[in-house]
Amino acid sequence: MKSLKKIMIAAIVLLSIPSAFAQLSRVDIVATGLTCSMCSNAINKQLKTLTDVEKVDIDLNTNTFVVFLKKSNQITPKILKDKVENAGFFVGEMVLYMYFDKQKTIMNSAVSTNNLTFIFIDNSTRTLEGETKLKVFDKGYITSKAFKKVAKLIKYDGNNAIEKGNVYHVKIV
Amino acid sequence: MLKLSRMKQIILIFLIYSSQINAQELFVFSEPASNMPTGSLGIRMGQSLMKESFSSGYNYHLMPEIMFGINKNLMLHTTAFVSNRSYNLVTEGGSLYAKYRFLSLDDLHAHFRMAFFGRFSVNNADIHQEEIETMGHNSGYEMGLVATKLVKKIALNASFSFEKAMDNKPNYYFPNSQSNNASNYTFSIGKLVYPQQYSSLKQTNLNVMLEVLGQNLNQNGKSFLDIAPSLQFIILSQARIDLAYRQQLYSSMLRTAPNGIYLKMEYIFFNIKK
Repeated sequence: MKSLKKIMIAAIVLLSIPSAFAQLSRVDIVATGLTCSMCSNAINKQLKTLTDVEKVDIDLNTNTFVVFLKKSNQITPKILKDKVENAGFFVGEMVLYMYFDKQKTIMNSAVSTNNLTFIFIDNSTRTLEGETKLKVFDKGYITSKAFKKVAKLIKYDGNNAIEKGNVYHVKIV
Repeated sequence: MLKLSRMKQIILIFLIYSSQINAQELFVFSEPASNMPTGSLGIRMGQSLMKESFSSGYNYHLMPEIMFGINKNLMLHTTAFVSNRSYNLVTEGGSLYAKYRFLSLDDLHAHFRMAFFGRFSVNNADIHQEEIETMGHNSGYEMGLVATKLVKKIALNASFSFEKAMDNKPNYYFPNSQSNNASNYTFSIGKLVYPQQYSSLKQTNLNVMLEVLGQNLNQNGKSFLDIAPSLQFIILSQARIDLAYRQQLYSSMLRTAPNGIYLKMEYIFFNIKK
C-alpha cells in the first residue's frame, strides 16, 4: 500500500505543472515583409541593442536571424518580437532553443520555467530533456496565414495571455 | 471597353514582367508606406540640377534633410531648401513631413502597407511657375495616402495627394490667376539587379527604378506627367546613393525647369535612441 501511495504522489507531481529549470540559449527568427539588406540590418541593429544578446547571425536570403543569448539572460520571446516590429517588420517564425536540466515532463500540459510558461498544443507525450526546440504558435509569432490555421487549436486569445503572464503556445520541432 | 481591356493587358504584362525581377521600395521621388526603424536617425542630402526652360543656365537645389523614426508606425522629416534662384546660394525655406503607417499585411518576402503623410512648408522665393511644389518652391501643405506592395522582391508603389500652395514669404502673393491647389499622383517600380544572392551586409546593392509623377491643377485642369528613371546604390546596408533623371512627358502648365538630374545621398544612424 505504501509503495502504491508513493507512485500516486509521484504521478500527481509529474502531472501537475512542473517548474523546471531551463535556459533559453538561442532563438531563430524568420522576419517577414522584407527583402532588402538595409531592412535586415535594421532588424540586426535592433536585436543588438539588447544587452542579453551575445551575437546575431543572419541569412539574408531567407531573412533568418539566429540570436545567441548570454547565460542567465532575461530574454522572452516578446522582447525579441517587439525589437523586430520596432525595425518596421514582423515575425514569421520563432524557434526557441531551451535547455532543460534533467527535467522529464509529461506533455500536453503547461510547463513553467524561470519566467516563461509553455502550453504544448500537440497531443503527443514526450520528454523534455537537454536541448529542445520549441516553435511558438501565438499571434504575431507566425505569419497571419499560419496563425489562422492554428487558431482553432489555441482556442482562446493567446495574445492577451502573453502580455499578462509570458504564456506561449508551442510545439516541439 | 476596348481601351479598358487594353489597359488590363498592359497591367498584366507589367505584372508578369515584374514578377521575374527583384525590387526595392526606397524610391527617389516618392516615399514608400514603410517607415524607418524606431529610434533611428537618417541624414539625407538631396541635390538637383534642372535645366531652365526660359533662360540659359541651370536651377540648382540643395535639400539637407533629417529623418527620425518616432515609433514603428510614425516618422518625421525636416528639410531645408537652398537654391541658386537668386544667383547666390540662399536658404529659401524649410518643411516638416510626417508619415503614419496604418496598415501592414506582411508575409514571408512580401507585404502590403498603407500610410498617411503630410507636409507643411514655408518658402521665401518668388512664385515663378504654375506647378505647385511644396518641396522647395511654394509655401503650403500636402496631404496624401501611399500604398506599397512587395511580393518576392518586387516593389510597386502608388501615392495620391492633395497639395495646396499659399503665399510665399515675405510678400510674394500667390497669383489669383493660377490654381492654388493640385492633385498629385505617383506610380513607382523598383528592381534589384545586384546581388542575385545575398552574401553579407557589406555587399553593395544596385537597384534600378522607374517612377511616373503627375500633377493636376484642380481649378483649371492643367496638368503634367513626368518620368524619372534612377539608379540606386545601397552601401554597407546603411547608406544609399541615388542618381536620377527626371523628364517631362507632357505639360499644359507653366514650369520653369522640369527636366534635370538628381543626386541624393543618405546615411542611417541606427538606434540613436534605444
